[in-house]
Amino acid sequence: MRHDPAPDSAPTDGERHLASLLLHVRPERSEAVRAALSAMPGVEIHIEQQGKMVVTAEGPHEGWIADRMTAMHLMDGVMSAVLVFHHLEPSSPEVEEAGTAGA
Amino acid sequence: MMDRRDFIKAQAVAAAAAAGGIGLPAMAQTSMVAGEDSSLKWSKAPCRFCGTGCGVMVATKDNRVVATHGDMQAEVNRGLNCVKGYFLSKIMYGQDRLTQPLLRMRDGKYHKEGEFQPVSWDRAFDEMAAQWKRVLKEKGPDAVGMFGSGQWTIWEGYAASKLMRAGFRTNNLDPNARHCMASAAIAFIRTFGMDEPMGCYDDFEQADAFVLWGSNMAEMHPILWTRITDRRLAHKHVKVAVLSTFEHRSFELADIPMIFQPGTDLAILNYIANHIIQTNRVNRDFIDRHCNFRLGQKDIGYGLRPENVLEVRAANAKDPTDSKPIDFDAFARFVSTYTLDYTAELTKVPKERLLALAELYADPKTKVMSLWTMGFNQHVRGVWVNHMVYNIHLLTGKISEPGNSPFSLTGQPSACGTAREVGTFSHRLPADMQVANPTHRAHTETAWKLPKDLLPAKVGYHAVQQDRMLKDGKLNAYWVMVNNNLQAAPNSGNETYPGYRNPENFIVVSDAYPTVTASAADLILPAAMWVEKEGAYGNAERRTHFWHQLVTAPGEARSDLWQLMEFSKRFTTDEVWPKETLDANPDYRGKTLFDVLFRNGQVDRFPLSEMDPEYDNAESKAFGFYVQKGLFEEYAGFGRGHGHDLAPFDTYHQVRGLRWPVVDGKETRWRYREGLDPFVKPGEGVKFYGNPDGKANLFAFPYEPPAEEPDREFDLWLVTGRVLEHWHSGSMTMRVPELYRAMPMAMVFMHPDDARERGLRRGSEVTVMSRRGEMRTRVETRGRNKPPRGVVFVPWFDSARLINKCTLDATDPISKQSDFKKCAVKVVAV
Repeated sequence: MRHDPAPDSAPTDGERHLASLLLHVRPERSEAVRAALSAMPGVEIHIEQQGKMVVTAEGPHEGWIADRMTAMHLMDGVMSAVLVFHHLEPSSPEVEEAGTAGA
Repeated sequence: MMDRRDFIKAQAVAAAAAAGGIGLPAMAQTSMVAGEDSSLKWSKAPCRFCGTGCGVMVATKDNRVVATHGDMQAEVNRGLNCVKGYFLSKIMYGQDRLTQPLLRMRDGKYHKEGEFQPVSWDRAFDEMAAQWKRVLKEKGPDAVGMFGSGQWTIWEGYAASKLMRAGFRTNNLDPNARHCMASAAIAFIRTFGMDEPMGCYDDFEQADAFVLWGSNMAEMHPILWTRITDRRLAHKHVKVAVLSTFEHRSFELADIPMIFQPGTDLAILNYIANHIIQTNRVNRDFIDRHCNFRLGQKDIGYGLRPENVLEVRAANAKDPTDSKPIDFDAFARFVSTYTLDYTAELTKVPKERLLALAELYADPKTKVMSLWTMGFNQHVRGVWVNHMVYNIHLLTGKISEPGNSPFSLTGQPSACGTAREVGTFSHRLPADMQVANPTHRAHTETAWKLPKDLLPAKVGYHAVQQDRMLKDGKLNAYWVMVNNNLQAAPNSGNETYPGYRNPENFIVVSDAYPTVTASAADLILPAAMWVEKEGAYGNAERRTHFWHQLVTAPGEARSDLWQLMEFSKRFTTDEVWPKETLDANPDYRGKTLFDVLFRNGQVDRFPLSEMDPEYDNAESKAFGFYVQKGLFEEYAGFGRGHGHDLAPFDTYHQVRGLRWPVVDGKETRWRYREGLDPFVKPGEGVKFYGNPDGKANLFAFPYEPPAEEPDREFDLWLVTGRVLEHWHSGSMTMRVPELYRAMPMAMVFMHPDDARERGLRRGSEVTVMSRRGEMRTRVETRGRNKPPRGVVFVPWFDSARLINKCTLDATDPISKQSDFKKCAVKVVAV
């Protein structure tokens, strides 16, 4: 009865996940952070103001989004990275579901 | 023209900007969640994880939680989510969810060495009740016990307290919060006569300086950390000091970073007090009017088993709580030996940093917020170190006003609301009352409509003592709810596991998942979790918040509340209460415990018609009355009018939580100060009304070393703790595939030079070994945590790598809370 974690959820074909994150960045290191973020595929910086950045991450599944969120959280110069919004665009366009972590 | 993808992206950006307080055009006003599906039903709930108490919006569809997002209306988090909160919707849907009771059986009967087999609830409770009755008959109430949780809902903790204390007549009830909050709670009572912080999260936007005493808020309280970060970045004068025994993510924001030798935080605090006094920055008017000074007991031992040499050698291990009154001058003399030179030498912190830190407190113009969690509380001198931080806030009068705030953070969602306020500790009753106090017991007997002198006076076994007594065969019928103590308890291989498998004992574990603790039990009861039941939690800032049942629990899983109440039906007063009590109170004869505890005319006074028709409620339907409301209203009676005032039950279903005391419909953000706290009368200024004389107590304590220190053989300090992705023992977060993948195993974080010296490098397979046990893992030298030489850090979330086999079961002798931050290990290649 040892704990056996569930296998990784496989990316679903055609799903697109989009999340927005709020980052707090040390102003003196914002250039380096900007460069590091730009190098991450699917990541875009939209607003930068007084050490805050609004960033979107777009990818094939939510694990992908979570990986980027963790990477940003641990990035030099980033003091905090938190998720605000998550959207799941399902494969069949007539079915719409939304919200964080659509199951 | 904007296509759908651009539109969604624009909404996402707008939401983040709004949450971050960044001005944007009207765009931000649109719906939080794009493409909102009209078939989704959205309801509010607090997050299931830490003590921050973030609000989330939960979407359900076809009786399943399908989505969550941060609640924009929740003051705590204002729409933000950490990565754990992001995946909340998945915690209930792990593949190995428990859905039926499982009993160890052989040849169709219960057998301690049998295999787990599914049984009905009736069969499960029959066996359990038979075992309880056997133990009660053979050994009496002292041999029955329960280990509960700061994750219990308020009414679950309350029902458990009634069942154990009044039903089975034992105080052998303790919460896992003993491992995380006991030092804080006890220091609050000893200093202020009342538990829990005087300030609240609004202090984050008022303070000029933040001091993290051992806390790594960037990973453990990420949402509160954004509020500190915001304040620091928007106001140039704001300073952040981060103190720890190793470097971690919160150091990224530190203006005053400080790595100190384990255990020497005691000396740093006494140095700050000394600095305040030597530089004449004591607020004399404040201390003269509002403070007492006391000299505490020293050399109090380490809470180990009494025969341990450290206990035998300690002069005052038997009476660690003693203290005597002194005056300010004696206090000043006491701390005068903690000079800058001495403290720098002992702590290995550069002098200029110690001085800069001391000035944050000493400068009367700097409003300072102190923050701490496990670094202070899991400390063999945890109560002392909590007292010492109050000392420096009281000496300067920097307390009970916006921005001046000693703030004890919590790790569990209802460590405050349930473990502390309801009083599920082995020494406590509701509303800060104590089991050892005859007046408090009498008050409780009246409030619970019970016979006089029914409640037991003897303080029960605390967490670590429960494990020891299970092992020693003195505690024999044991129920564990909402916690994973075999993974969480210190020195578990020697002091916890043997008690579970002791043939004299019958161990019941209620959980949603087959944790290591459940696997070591004799009976496993499947539990409903989070929004599968109606609930209430209390967060770190005294905020009580509610949620409705939103989905049905799977299979035969039932809430802890149902389990506690249903089990109570299997006992009659004649079986469990003393004959003399029943002789003197014949009306109570022949009744079940359910009748006298829950069918008492109070708990059952609200009919089902008072429930919100929009939501289901499994427990109320099962028992035929609005159970949660009845329990809450009976419980709330303890605190109303006494400074613990809670609002009416129905109010909490409407609001995003309220901070008690709630008086005339208004919450209280800062306590003990006139104009801010309704219990302080005009003209009183400041009044610490928890104490009869209205004053707070400062205590003089020395630096004393930890219970164990590295030596030639075990040459490294071991510090345990958490990581961002996982919450506590990982029983929920390790079942979220994305979180599991982000941090699949607990590694040993160590300094690259310490690794090299041992012939190791990043990724090397190693054994971490102490005098008590060992665990195998891999080395991380470049991770998020960067220990100095001589220190290693291992998180405890990983059930496949149990670091608590290595830790020491030393506790604070006053709070009985274990020290998980200081013991000696070696790390060797496999």
